[in-house]
Amino acid sequence: MPGKGRIYRVRGGMNFKQSILPHITSILICLCAVILAFTGNLSFGVAGIFLAALAFVTTRKLLQKLAAANEQACFLDEKLVQSQKLASIGELSAGIGHEINNPLAIISQETEWMQHVVKRIGGRNSKEVAELQDSLKEVLHQVDRCREITQNLLDFARRKEPVYQEVNVNKLIDDLSRLVKKETIQYRIEIRKDFQRDLPLVHTDAPSLRQVVLNLLTNATHAIEKDGRIRIATQRSGNGSVDIIVEDTGCGIPKDHLIKIFDPFFTTKPEGKGTGLGLSICHGIVDKLGGRISVSSEVGKGSTFVVTLPINQQKGMSPS
Amino acid sequence: MSAKPRVLIVDDEERFRTTMAKLLTVNGLEVTAVGSGKAALEELKSKAYDVITLDIRMPGMSGLEALAEIKKVNPAIEVIILTGHASVDTAVEIMKLGGYEYLLKPTTTEELMNKIDAAFERKMTREQKTRKGNGS
Repeated sequence: MPGKGRIYRVRGGMNFKQSILPHITSILICLCAVILAFTGNLSFGVAGIFLAALAFVTTRKLLQKLAAANEQACFLDEKLVQSQKLASIGELSAGIGHEINNPLAIISQETEWMQHVVKRIGGRNSKEVAELQDSLKEVLHQVDRCREITQNLLDFARRKEPVYQEVNVNKLIDDLSRLVKKETIQYRIEIRKDFQRDLPLVHTDAPSLRQVVLNLLTNATHAIEKDGRIRIATQRSGNGSVDIIVEDTGCGIPKDHLIKIFDPFFTTKPEGKGTGLGLSICHGIVDKLGGRISVSSEVGKGSTFVVTLPINQQKGMSPS
Repeated sequence: MSAKPRVLIVDDEERFRTTMAKLLTVNGLEVTAVGSGKAALEELKSKAYDVITLDIRMPGMSGLEALAEIKKVNPAIEVIILTGHASVDTAVEIMKLGGYEYLLKPTTTEELMNKIDAAFERKMTREQKTRKGNGS
């Protein structure tokens, strides 16, 4: 993961007991070898030291493999828990979204009817009528806002089946970077593109991927506010997959926020500016595309999001 | 064929259907509102309609069941599904059953009027073609 010292998740790895074990084993064998050498049996002593070195290397290798397997298991557990959490919240969100839509429809219609009645009554020059019309307009504006929220909830919950095709990821990202260009120029944000030139075509769902990348670019822009840099990179990673990296020099994300960042409704944006569903939707999409999304961040320095997608697999990547 | 569309609103939410009826009426449509799929089928026996707006979640007969029955009674009627409970699967089902359009609540009267006009135009064009076909 790019960004030295910014990886927030430390999974698996050898613990203290595991790292000390090969040393203890080899020290014990070495001691036996020294005792044997001192008692006059030099060849046994040399063989003992050789055995100690071999034991050290073998034990260490075995423990490393064990730690890697443990890390993989931790990652899969975490991914499963996150997916289950998102699925259940998704169902709840859809229910809430639907239930709110009906009363919203009535509020909207009643307001439109009131507008009609006020118009019919006339008296356009009266200050009170103007105020009333202004209030009714505001009610409709707020209904629109609610509608957007329920639409987001429904999008979040929607189980849309991806339509797979060969996608030129570099071109897709390049097109999207042009889309945010206006905003980035306005706030003096430089966009740096580090695309791997010979990146293979990726068998994925282009509209879904566009949604994810656009969301990451928008978030990066908001995190910087003004005067900063967004680095968008692509690279071929191991296990038949590609990485899409969106790195910003923004405000960064505190550690206690990082663990909640893909949770629905989690937002640090001011009220009315974000629903806290963007990254949850991204997580759901990437999961559906058989990939994974990870984040690393340091407060005051910036954040890095990495989307890893399988090049040619519909049902997901095999564990690395 | 009437010059303005005759619209039947089917929705179990009373306040919704009555206000919608008033809004569509002031926009020049001929509107009737009923509260269930069963009532809609009864209404179709006594009066001809061009466009029906249909809710999906209703007690008794669901919107999808009502849509299938309406299409059996009169396949020429255009049906617009207007619901707060929608999913892609439902949308596909609506199209399979011959529904014309699918709108998610809340919607504006203007948006609904546009859909009704388009549905009415399609119905008229189809009927004109049928008449020409029969005449030739």
